[in-house]
Amino acid sequence: MAPIGRTVDPAFRLDVLARAQARAGLLPDCLAEARRVANTVIAGWHGRRKRGIGETFWQFRPHVEGESHSRIDWRRSARDDHLYVRDREWEAAHTVWLWADPSPSMRYQSEMALVSKESRALVVMLAMAEILSRSGERIACPGVMDPVAARNGAERLALALAHADMDSLPKQPELGRINRMSDVILVSDCLDDELLSACIAPAAQRGIRGHLVEIFDPAEERFPYTGRTEFRDPETGATLTAGRAETVADDYRRAWNNRRAALAASVRHSGWSFLANATDRPASEVLAALHGRLSGTPVSRTDAT
Amino acid sequence: MSALPLAFGAPLLLFGLLALPVIWWLLRMTPPRPQREAFAPLPILARVLKADHTPAHSPWWLTALRLLVAALIIFALAEPILNPRSQTLSRTGPLVLMIDNGWAAAPDWSERVESAEALLAEAREAELPVLIAFTAERRHEPTPTTAEAALEQLRAAEPRSWQPARASAVDAIITALADTAPGTIAILSDGVAEGQSAAADEQTTAPDDDAAAFERLFALGASDIQIFARTGSAPVALTAASNAANGFEVTAARLPEAGARDITLIARDNRGRDVARGALTFAAGEMTASGRLDAPFELRNDIARLEVVAARTAAGVRLIDDSARRRRVALISGAPADQSQPLLAPLYYIDNALSPFAELRRADSADLAIAVPKLLATNPNVIIMADIGVPQTIGAPSELSPSASADTSAWPAALSEWVRRGGTLIRFAGPRLAAASGDDPLIPVRLRRGERELGGALSWDEPQPLAAYPTAGPFSGLPTPGNVTVKRQVLAEPSADLAARTWASLADGTPLVTAAPRGDGRIVLFHVTAEAGWSNLPISGHFVEMLRRIVQLSNVSRATIEAQDASASTSSDSAAGQALLPPWRLLDASGRLVPANGDARPLDLSAARPQPGPDSPPGLYGNEDGHVALNLFAPGESLRSLVIPAPAAPLTRLPIGSSETIPLTPWLFAAALFGLIADTLIVLILAGGLSRLRSRAGLLQRSRVALALLAALAVSLVPALQPASAQQNAGAPAAASDARAGDAHILEQLDTTHLAYVLTGDDTVDATSRAGLDGLSTYLANRTALEPGAAVGVDIERDELAFYPLIYWPMSEQAPFPTEAAISRIDAYMRSGGSVLFDTRDRIDSLGAGTTGPTRRLQIILSGLDIPALEPVPSDHVLTKAFYLLDTFPGRYADGPLWVEAIGEGGPDGDRPARGGDGVSSILITGNDLAAAWAQDAAGNPLFATVPNDPWQREYAYRAGVNIVMYMLTGNYKADQVHIPALLERLGQ
Repeated sequence: MAPIGRTVDPAFRLDVLARAQARAGLLPDCLAEARRVANTVIAGWHGRRKRGIGETFWQFRPHVEGESHSRIDWRRSARDDHLYVRDREWEAAHTVWLWADPSPSMRYQSEMALVSKESRALVVMLAMAEILSRSGERIACPGVMDPVAARNGAERLALALAHADMDSLPKQPELGRINRMSDVILVSDCLDDELLSACIAPAAQRGIRGHLVEIFDPAEERFPYTGRTEFRDPETGATLTAGRAETVADDYRRAWNNRRAALAASVRHSGWSFLANATDRPASEVLAALHGRLSGTPVSRTDAT
Repeated sequence: MSALPLAFGAPLLLFGLLALPVIWWLLRMTPPRPQREAFAPLPILARVLKADHTPAHSPWWLTALRLLVAALIIFALAEPILNPRSQTLSRTGPLVLMIDNGWAAAPDWSERVESAEALLAEAREAELPVLIAFTAERRHEPTPTTAEAALEQLRAAEPRSWQPARASAVDAIITALADTAPGTIAILSDGVAEGQSAAADEQTTAPDDDAAAFERLFALGASDIQIFARTGSAPVALTAASNAANGFEVTAARLPEAGARDITLIARDNRGRDVARGALTFAAGEMTASGRLDAPFELRNDIARLEVVAARTAAGVRLIDDSARRRRVALISGAPADQSQPLLAPLYYIDNALSPFAELRRADSADLAIAVPKLLATNPNVIIMADIGVPQTIGAPSELSPSASADTSAWPAALSEWVRRGGTLIRFAGPRLAAASGDDPLIPVRLRRGERELGGALSWDEPQPLAAYPTAGPFSGLPTPGNVTVKRQVLAEPSADLAARTWASLADGTPLVTAAPRGDGRIVLFHVTAEAGWSNLPISGHFVEMLRRIVQLSNVSRATIEAQDASASTSSDSAAGQALLPPWRLLDASGRLVPANGDARPLDLSAARPQPGPDSPPGLYGNEDGHVALNLFAPGESLRSLVIPAPAAPLTRLPIGSSETIPLTPWLFAAALFGLIADTLIVLILAGGLSRLRSRAGLLQRSRVALALLAALAVSLVPALQPASAQQNAGAPAAASDARAGDAHILEQLDTTHLAYVLTGDDTVDATSRAGLDGLSTYLANRTALEPGAAVGVDIERDELAFYPLIYWPMSEQAPFPTEAAISRIDAYMRSGGSVLFDTRDRIDSLGAGTTGPTRRLQIILSGLDIPALEPVPSDHVLTKAFYLLDTFPGRYADGPLWVEAIGEGGPDGDRPARGGDGVSSILITGNDLAAAWAQDAAGNPLFATVPNDPWQREYAYRAGVNIVMYMLTGNYKADQVHIPALLERLGQ
């Protein structure tokens, strides 16, 4: 009988070059998928929707006493007896740091899932890069790419990821040199317990806003295993044998849900937002939610458990 | 071993049971292999997963099941046998095995071989010499050998399709044994006595033969005698079958038996198709049964074999020879063949009646002395003579052949001989026959001289209808012809057997068709002529039916084959003395026809019917064209039981085949297999495989299963599909290869309608024609639904004309004259529905002078064509209404008439070939130079001025062209349209 889950990247133990090639081969697909998903999200979204410093016209508003006369739009004001000021849309550039978990545990896909967790994480990250680049934000990836403002930010991020030596990347993002006005989006399966303590908590203390996206496989949540089963951790190689796996399923699900609830609570407690996405669900769900969080117009929170 | 009826073929293997404890230990030590899964959130799982509570050992009952399976396999390998055969062979001397392998042993031959093998196996164990003899073999050469050699002989033997010869087999056994006393004599008898007798009390030698042979055998002093005999009912033999008037009559024989028995018969044609079925019933205690297979007359002639359904033996098959052959009919007429008045020729009706189902040969000479031997040489089955008087005595000059040579008189003798050998002679009356003397040797009944006339001017009688056919004759079953009347006939002299020889008679009882057998053949006389002069019988359908039945009754086998054989063999003595037929298809013991092998000898027809045996097995003798069937049983023969006299030695009677030893090995293996399956299921359930299967019964899983099934199906279908695809592959190049060089051009011509003109060779005229037709095409495209392509110039010498509805042919004096072939092509084009518009372009010229050059040229061309009468377009012609309403057809010149085929008052005449094709006139002639009026340059400006120069005349010229094209394309459709008011008025009623 075929096992329920598998480790998708067979080059896991192979040398760095082969892994980099496999990763680079995965990236164009992820990039294309990210573009597609980003298009579904970005439709109907118009910029910042705030007045501020920018180039595009936003509105005429009556001149208020005390404002600089140089800001009066005389052409408009000449039409009637009031004075008008031309407001422009706010176009302040913003840096968003994106990070996808590169750990081996991400390379897992059960037969219930559409894609592997790694693929989903990359898609979410690149899609966010695409969305943010199109709206003029600066995007960056800790340890991989410095902040860059470009229309093709997603491609450049993909290129940087393709060239990055993934094995030398730290298991947790280095958020120490990020300044405090930046946003951070972490995409991970959150199975590393130190992620919260070593990474998120210090960053939150420094006032960095952030979003944690948990990618999980449905098999990890529902635990569909039955019978005598030997479980192996892809990261450490440790094994664990369950005589009749279905007997521990309920306990496991409870523990899984408790752990996630605790994680979500502590993340929200530190001022970050927490989103979860199962790999058997479309990536656009979490992307829409994430985009809502970023742009300050929260969408429905049904998918954000 | 003695208490249980159980023996082991390989008892040493039972030591394998000692290994069971080891297997038990191994089974206990091995837990089921876990399913390996990658699982990232292992720490979470580790928290909830407590101590591993999987049992280290399988449950005890699972281990017990596996041990049971292992034990079963070991037992099965030890070949246990339930109820082993008791040792019955006497050890005092060699085993004598006498096996009947005649036809009656065929149905249960395999059981017989089993019984013999069992005996041989025992003899092998006891190391007894064996003497094996098969009673139906050609030569009996038994020698004492080992059991192994005897087993080989047994395996090589097969049942034969003839009777066993037990006496010679016993003699051979006695010779082979010399003085040795046999230990056990085992006889596997088929229960049927050797030899058949027409009357059992008459021939009593055959059973004596059998009994004496057995007594001789038993006198050898055997210490034990075993007789194996059949327990069920014996096979049935078909002893006779004949194609009677109302059906196929079949007689069957069986051994004396108490109960009643039904057997089913199938009649098949020579391709093995099922023609008819029937049943025979043996009454209780009866040894023979007769019955009839009902089948249509036509199908009965196709029957090639009858067989008993249940038991397939050589005797259960009756071969019918030569019944499916097409008859060859020779026709001889006294009247000279007059082809100009075929309906009066006597052979015309016979020819038409018989040609669908018989091969006809006509006499090619009026001289019968030449014609008859020639026809006889072709081996006809039937000879039909229409109104020929046969000379009364041999040697007398014939009145029919005034120019006859001296040996004229030989042909009636030859004909008579041919009839006696099986030919069927059909004669028709007539003036010549009526005038011949009453001693004609080749008529079935004596005739009165002269003929009887009914309903004539000097007669009181009315023409007579036919009476119903007598039920005994071959015409029985045909409907009574009600509309056939006879005005004249020849009369038969009354005699005692006239009624028996009458096949059909008139309503007043006078015979119309009489017949009499002559030797193996038959003479049939129709008392009327073969043409419709004396009666209307030849022009009625009953004539066909009557001839057909007579022809199908005709005997074909012996006459044909003898004649063939005689003509084939070069030596005269063999032709005269004996006719030998080579074996062609022989019956095997189970009643199948197999190609003849070299053992069978040719069949001598001149001798008495040979007894079927090794030299002449039952089957078909001859060749594909004609053959004689030799069946195992002759009509009247019966079957008798084999009687074996009581011997001095102890006699054991045993049933054949039903050995009660039961080998247990297959059952044990099956049980072990079931145990393994159960073990697999239990392991699956224990490992949670079933619930896993359930939980994963998602779309993916299902699609995988479906995919696997599909793949299996595809693999199994690949061989079946390969021929089809190969066929397709083979067909593809064939389909592709019928493309020819000019196809593209043809398609182009067919895609759109093109107006065509004849390339005369005069460049000016051709250019004008092209410009004119192009101009007309433009006009058509603008004004009508027709959008013709560019005008096409055709070379009438070479180009295919059939694509164009209309060809414009301007006459030019400068052009070379078309050849005869070209004119005949134009003629063919007009016959096949095309139309030619001739334009002499000489209206102006012909005004003054009489005939101009182009007109003369046209006249010469038309003289080569088959042209009907012409007329100027009448005012009610379709041409004046086809699109525009016109009364003139001007071209460059205004007032010239347009000539078309005259529409006859009395409808179309069938002799005009050019009138074919929807009533469209195949020819139009004008002198108005239409093309010049239509011609325009690229800018649309006219090239030629009209005469007189009137713009409206050009417009009318175009309209005339439109009307002509529409007339060509739609035919007389518009002529019908003008009747619409009248039609509507009629419909309104």
